[in-house]
Amino acid sequence: MTAVQTQARTSNVQQQKRRRGLSDRAIINLFIWPTLLLLILWNAFPLFYSLFLSFTEYSAIARKEPVWVGLANYQDILTDPQMWKYFATTGRYALVTVGMQTLLGFGLALLVREKFKGSGLITTLILIPMMLSPVVVGLFWKLIYNPAFGFFNYLIMQTTPGKAPDMLAGTIARTPVPNLALWAVALVDIWMWTPFVMLLALSGLKAIPDYLYEAAVIDRASSWFQFRRITLPQVAPLLMIAVLFRTIEAFKGFDLVMGMTGGGPGDQTELIAVNLYRQAFQGQFRTGHASALAYIILIIIIAISNLYIRYLNGLREEG
Amino acid sequence: MSDFYEVGPAEPVVISTRVDKVSPKARREHNVRAAIVIAIAMFCLLPIFVMSMTAFKTRSDAVSAPPKLLFKPTLEGFVFLFTERALVPPARAQELLASDTTDLSLFERVALSSGQEITGPSDYVGRLKNSLIIAGVSTIFSVVLGFFAAYAFSRFDVPGKDDLMFFILSTRMLPAVVVTIPLFLMYRQFGLHDTYQGMILLYTVFNLSLAVWLLKGFIDEIPLEYEEAALVDGYSRIQAIFKIVLPQAMTGIAATVVFSLIFAWNEYAFALMLTSDKARTAPPTIATMLGRGGIEWSAIAAGSLGFLIPVAIVVFLLRDYLLRGVTFGAVRR
Amino acid sequence: MAQIELKQVEKLFGEKYAVKPMDLTINNGEFVCLLGPSGCGKTTTLRMISGLETASGGTILLDGENVTWHHPSDRDIAFVFQLYALYPHMTVRDNIAFPLQAEGMNKDDIDTRVSEVVDILRIGHMLKYKPGKLSGGDQQRVALARALVRRPKAFLMDEPLGALDAELRETMRAEIKALHIAQNATTVYVTHDQVEAMALSDRIVVMSAAEVQQVGTPAEVYYDPANLFVAGFIGSPGMNVLKGQLDGDVVRFLGNNNTLPLPARYRIPLLTTLDADKNVIVGFRPEAGTINADGSMQGEVYAVDMHGAYKLLHVNLGDVPDTHEPTIVHLRTDRMASNPMGSQLRFTVDPAMMRFFDPKSGKAILPSQTDQTDRQPVEVLSTTAEGQA
Repeated sequence: MTAVQTQARTSNVQQQKRRRGLSDRAIINLFIWPTLLLLILWNAFPLFYSLFLSFTEYSAIARKEPVWVGLANYQDILTDPQMWKYFATTGRYALVTVGMQTLLGFGLALLVREKFKGSGLITTLILIPMMLSPVVVGLFWKLIYNPAFGFFNYLIMQTTPGKAPDMLAGTIARTPVPNLALWAVALVDIWMWTPFVMLLALSGLKAIPDYLYEAAVIDRASSWFQFRRITLPQVAPLLMIAVLFRTIEAFKGFDLVMGMTGGGPGDQTELIAVNLYRQAFQGQFRTGHASALAYIILIIIIAISNLYIRYLNGLREEG
Repeated sequence: MSDFYEVGPAEPVVISTRVDKVSPKARREHNVRAAIVIAIAMFCLLPIFVMSMTAFKTRSDAVSAPPKLLFKPTLEGFVFLFTERALVPPARAQELLASDTTDLSLFERVALSSGQEITGPSDYVGRLKNSLIIAGVSTIFSVVLGFFAAYAFSRFDVPGKDDLMFFILSTRMLPAVVVTIPLFLMYRQFGLHDTYQGMILLYTVFNLSLAVWLLKGFIDEIPLEYEEAALVDGYSRIQAIFKIVLPQAMTGIAATVVFSLIFAWNEYAFALMLTSDKARTAPPTIATMLGRGGIEWSAIAAGSLGFLIPVAIVVFLLRDYLLRGVTFGAVRR
Repeated sequence: MAQIELKQVEKLFGEKYAVKPMDLTINNGEFVCLLGPSGCGKTTTLRMISGLETASGGTILLDGENVTWHHPSDRDIAFVFQLYALYPHMTVRDNIAFPLQAEGMNKDDIDTRVSEVVDILRIGHMLKYKPGKLSGGDQQRVALARALVRRPKAFLMDEPLGALDAELRETMRAEIKALHIAQNATTVYVTHDQVEAMALSDRIVVMSAAEVQQVGTPAEVYYDPANLFVAGFIGSPGMNVLKGQLDGDVVRFLGNNNTLPLPARYRIPLLTTLDADKNVIVGFRPEAGTINADGSMQGEVYAVDMHGAYKLLHVNLGDVPDTHEPTIVHLRTDRMASNPMGSQLRFTVDPAMMRFFDPKSGKAILPSQTDQTDRQPVEVLSTTAEGQA
């Protein structure tokens, strides 16, 4: 090694020593705080602010300061039969969509679990709907549901004008059918999110080690016995994650419905989140009232998550 | 059937498999299963197929009853989507079409043949540009910030690490509407309403939790030894990150970029509430196209198709990381 | 209990043999070990017997019945896995009861059967735990209990002690041995550990490179290896093997001046088997050598390993002329004996412990059956040797 090279290397080392002066402590702060700050400003702060607003009478478009009204907003909402109806609608919607998605998603996962020719491509294709924008999905299902030229009626061979069902208007042959529009929207939700449940279930299934089935076959367990005693309990935790995510989404999602029915006809598809949007950003901008409703939804979501976490912890304690 | 138990299958079995899986019964079940899956997949893709078809139909074909399966494809939908047009008298249209055709672009010719003249680009063009800018820049921000935060959480003993990580995840679980009201007020107060800055910052935050969780998962899998070797060799921590960790985390970064892009690209609720014109993105625009001058289904389908294609490509490219992405990095494999 | 018969059973993975066609009969109540290095096809063989792996050809008979294409559950055999394969979400009791529940046995009978095997394996105190909470040894006891509870025709065990640490392995080995003696159940046991195979088996099937090398009792595979692979694989260290040349009544070793007298019973077989160049490979176990100042073998101490009860000497007989590699033989000596590194020594080899191999095929050359006296006419005896083969 020449002298010049040695010198160069020494100075390089010194330089690095100086640069290393940035302590781990400083690096942690430098790396983490920008992220935390953004999250606090854009999430934590608004959360507390809307908590405050939920106790006030306030409209974002009125030139008036918020007026403290205590629990009046909450009382209003919880005593309003109309609101209970929206909650009931949401509950029904959640039950049907999440139930069907779980059933179909798990079923599909069981079917694609064992590879066949082209199964990779097929699985990927099945996953496309859940990556689409809910608005776009809502829109083209609107086209599909169109009573006159939509593909849906064509498929169920009900194309006679006047007699054909208009799913989104909730009528068959111009006669209103209760909840038809809600189920029409639910069908789209199921179409869009069954792949999500399938994806989670599939990863759960693939995580079950093969040797468990080998042991079961040796133990002379039938296919049904294997499914009931090994597959189901092994995949249950991941299936529950899917159920949790989808349930939460049923309570907070509104874009699909907004794109398809806007809550109509009447209030048939008025999910709680749709109503929240309407209160907050349409007509009177009942900001205070809407904040209280938002908090009620949040509490429901937290409650559901808690139930799930307890269930998971239960599994772990047993294990 | 009984033959099988005596002599086995015709061909020798040269893969690793259980005896019962090569039985004729298992083979039959396998084929039935494959057929069912393919049928279901076709059924699932039917709406997408219908939409793609509609995008290439003329205005009248799109609303014909019953729906036409065979039709003459046209770019009309795309023309309607991207341009503002005015009616021209049919005679004039014929004249223009017949005249020197080299002056006319493809779009102009399509418009003229349906008796219209292009007067300028539609709102949608500007909105698409907004979408690109906002989704692109916010993605870069969230991946950069997310990478450093993820690195710190992965490699250092950050006080209260578990709680902080949970806080980061929980922000993603909040219903958008809960934070939108105060954000709406906040944005109005600080002049961020309907601005690029406002939307970029919002989507950055929106994607940060995903970015941190996803990237932490990927960085956790890079062995610590490489960095330690670099540190021992005299590199600074920052140099080690750029020279060692960054190149190895590239797949994770690519996955995060794409997931962030898709989320920002598809996002509708915030855009609807926090923008009105200047910074409005494409999704709320497609939705409102319904309102103007009748329902232009082929234009809507064209817009939807334009939205779908990049996502479909991405789904295919990302199939291995899909699970991590949609569960915020929580579920591996 | 059952007899297991393999007839020309083979396994191909693609074009490659995982198990070359093999014949093997495992008798009722016998304990047979499949022994060999990893990747030799022993586990594949075991899995083919169980039906967890499909044979590419051949016939597997269980008590005379062709079960080659039977579902694993129709074979009535139990399998003990290396990593236990216990159902992680079930308690120990449910794990043991699982095969009985799968049959649809009634609850009372299940209770009786479970408590029986629980007593045998002394695992009564852990019934309500899940497998994850148990030590490796206890998990394997539970896995054994799950296999025993069914009273199957045969037990197949795939390195059941492979995941345990050395001390536990010895304890469990004794338990398995005791269990086998008590149950007298046909058992096929896969292991790569020759000590385990020696200790447990009635017969050992030595496998290598997808092929059966030798089937024999532990003593047979140790003292009379069928070929050079078995000679080197069994024993630690394996048999010393030296290239030599037959020269009248002695074998002369290449590259040095050492010779060993040819035992009389090998004279005729060697003469009839070897090529004209008279090249032969001589093998002897380290304990067959005795240090003796008058010995015909001479070398330099290359290294000394202290094994506690004895010392193992590495002796260099002289460098191979072409490669300059040392020619090392191992000798077992008394722990008190002093043979410093670099010192010269002479030794003899017990003629009863000498074995001979054909350098071309690597196969052992068997001695004449009767103790032959010297100088008998070659012609007469060569026919006897042929008759033997």
